[in-house]
Amino acid sequence: MGPVIESHGLTHEYPDGTTAIRDVTLAIEAGERVAVIGANGSGKSTLQLALGGLVDASSGTVTYFGETTDAEAVRDRLGVLLQDPDDYLFNTTVREDLEYGPSQLGMPRQAADRRIDRLADRLGLKGLLDQPPFRLSGGEKQRAAVASVLTFDPDVLLLDEPFGAVDDRYRERIRELMTAHEGTVVLFTPSPDLVPEVADRVILVGQNGSVVADGSVREVLTNGSLLREHGLRPPTTVRLFDGVVEPEEIPLTVSDAREFLTREVR
Amino acid sequence: MTGLVGRSAESITGALRGVFAAERVAAADGLLQRRDPRATLCAVAGLALAVMIARTLAVTLFFGLVTVALARLSKVPLRRLLARSAVVPLASAFVVLPQLVLLPGETLVRVLGVAVTDAGISYVVLFTLRVGTGVALLSLIVMTTPFSAVVAAMRELRIPVALVWVIAITYRYLFLFFDELQRLILARNSRTTGTSSLRGEWRDASRLAGTFLLRTIDRGERVGRAMRARGGARAPSPYGRTRSLNHYDYALVAFAAATIAASGVIRWGL
Repeated sequence: MGPVIESHGLTHEYPDGTTAIRDVTLAIEAGERVAVIGANGSGKSTLQLALGGLVDASSGTVTYFGETTDAEAVRDRLGVLLQDPDDYLFNTTVREDLEYGPSQLGMPRQAADRRIDRLADRLGLKGLLDQPPFRLSGGEKQRAAVASVLTFDPDVLLLDEPFGAVDDRYRERIRELMTAHEGTVVLFTPSPDLVPEVADRVILVGQNGSVVADGSVREVLTNGSLLREHGLRPPTTVRLFDGVVEPEEIPLTVSDAREFLTREVR
Repeated sequence: MTGLVGRSAESITGALRGVFAAERVAAADGLLQRRDPRATLCAVAGLALAVMIARTLAVTLFFGLVTVALARLSKVPLRRLLARSAVVPLASAFVVLPQLVLLPGETLVRVLGVAVTDAGISYVVLFTLRVGTGVALLSLIVMTTPFSAVVAAMRELRIPVALVWVIAITYRYLFLFFDELQRLILARNSRTTGTSSLRGEWRDASRLAGTFLLRTIDRGERVGRAMRARGGARAPSPYGRTRSLNHYDYALVAFAAATIAASGVIRWGL
């Protein structure tokens, strides 16, 4: 199976002359779990929009599923979650927002209802379905936005900071939904701490909008000097064990660290 | 903007945002909620048309009573309906206020040396009541029927896609427009202390208006992207909530048609 998204020389320049992303060439394979990390203002969100076909690149191309450069032709296979849930939830009730994607993209109503029920239950939205989105709290809006992008069951998820203002309980639920997703997941985040739990591959975007590293989670996230050079800190466990154990033994998640410590103490 | 201008802008914005927000009333078991959305749309829009045709106070008041009756039978709290419907007619009254002195007629009272005529008062009162009743009727549709069901009904009634698209987008953007304004005012108020003169407030309000315009354009673009991300580039196609029309649906539509005819006969004497 070939790449689901492939970009060549992708560059986007805003009308004021700011170059948000610069000459980005990458390929995301089917089923991959990828995290795109970068400091604030590095161009992650613009890269997400460009890969999702929601802004026109100044130069370069994006090819979807090896068959087309027209994102609208494969819109039902691409789930793009924007950064701000206030932009994403534009209907008059949460239910209408959850139905919007499936209905526009031609999913049969019964199938959509089943998915909406399941997601609303999973993300604690059942009692909020008839509420106007603007009455929800920040975390509730974020959960509703995540549910909205999952309702039409896209093959590829491009999620910009999906954990936003969500509390720990629902953060875990969203992480589980991402893990359970059978297709491809690309997470855009400025927080490397979350990455080892959801991704196998990390793409680091530098502050000039170009890709400066692309490798396994361990390769990129244990490279403290590279991360710091681009305005990020390694995950907490990496900072804790860096210099204490060999780089290849550094636990990347809290559960790995717990296992490691238990083993060492015994 | 903590003074008069700020408070007024905040109140009006909050009220207008409420007009475009759906409410739990749509889930209540009332007369209009039990109707097929196509019947509700045709009947209530028909009644609004009949109000617009009306040119006498008695006929307008009759439609006002019909609106109140529909609201009661649909379990819509009258106070909430009034709150939703009051802003637009009040703004309209403000616009036509000069007619009080411009229309020739018998002088009823003099204000600052200018004659207010009976014809002027009649015009302003009638105009405001007609607008108020029309807006209240249209509010009833939104309060008793989910907006996506209204859009689906329009598609099923074979209203041209372009028109449905314009209505759907306008409705969503109007809501976001007032939502953005309220967010801007709240952000401003959170960092404003003390009081300022009315002149200072107007100066602040004009600055705010400029920022608001830029933010609205920016947010419009972002929301446009959010719509496209979920198939918004295609024609609106919400799930239909229609069913077979029953006798009550037909009766409601027939009643609306009869009122249009009666309103026309009274106005033009056909």
